[in-house]
Amino acid sequence: MGATEIVEKIKNEANAECDEIISEAKENAKKQLEVAREEVELQKKNFVEAEERKEIEEKERIVRATRLNARKLGWDTEEEMIGKVLDESMKRLKEVKRESFKGNSYSNILAGLIKDAALSMVEGSSASSELEVILSEEDASYVDKSMLKGLSDEISAGSVNVRLSLSGEGERIKSAGGVIVRTKDGKIEVNNTFEQRMIRFSTSLKEDVVKVLFKDKE
Amino acid sequence: MAVEALKLIREEEEAGRKLIEEAKESAAKIVKDAEDEIKGLKEKAREDEKRLAVQISDKYTKEGEEEKKAIMKNAEAEAKNLKTRAELNLDSAVNVVLEKILGLR
Repeated sequence: MGATEIVEKIKNEANAECDEIISEAKENAKKQLEVAREEVELQKKNFVEAEERKEIEEKERIVRATRLNARKLGWDTEEEMIGKVLDESMKRLKEVKRESFKGNSYSNILAGLIKDAALSMVEGSSASSELEVILSEEDASYVDKSMLKGLSDEISAGSVNVRLSLSGEGERIKSAGGVIVRTKDGKIEVNNTFEQRMIRFSTSLKEDVVKVLFKDKE
Repeated sequence: MAVEALKLIREEEEAGRKLIEEAKESAAKIVKDAEDEIKGLKEKAREDEKRLAVQISDKYTKEGEEEKKAIMKNAEAEAKNLKTRAELNLDSAVNVVLEKILGLR
């Protein structure tokens, strides 16, 4: 081999090594970029999915809260209208006292409340009972001794002897109407004032009112 | 003559070594450029994520607001309907209450 050929060989070898170095570097860079691109794409996909999940949950939370508010609006409206019915009923009591209700005079209505109270107090008892009737100032004029005597006779026609009388010393109750009936010794009492009856029957009263109030007119 | 030839060979060896050195430097630059590009890719991905987060949030907030509006609109209409029905039935309901508290029921 001559010098020229040796020089040529050295040159060729150097060039080949250079090509290999560059080619390896390019391949390495290409691989790294590919991996990085894949990682970035995957990360982006995961990020979008996580963000979507988070935002959907938040949206659903808002929708659930709104549905609850919507139901509350319905309940509040129902409560408001039931309240209006109860207020209106209390106002109508004055009219009832003046003009009667469904053919029943206010005196008769009070007589019924007194009789109911007395019967519930003497129910199951065989002893005679002396019962007092207490009224409001406004209602005092609707009940008199003869009415109470009539009621006493009616109740006493059964197995028990009952004597009803007005409470003494002008005792009055503060009430929109109705009566309190109690034993002479004050140990047993039935409060049949309208306010108490409203409280006592509030649950069933509300159910009955709702049935009528929100019924579709036919 | 032989001395000349040896000199030529040494010079060529030296040139080859330099060439390889330069190739190594170029290779290092290629790798570094790739690393910089990767850095840029990741930086851009972070910026994209911020932008996407805003877009996704806006999309679902808008959807939520629309659903909310529709639900409340229905609820308000239903409440109005309830009130209208209640006003029409008010007298009958008052009678129910009066019958009960007056002891006629």
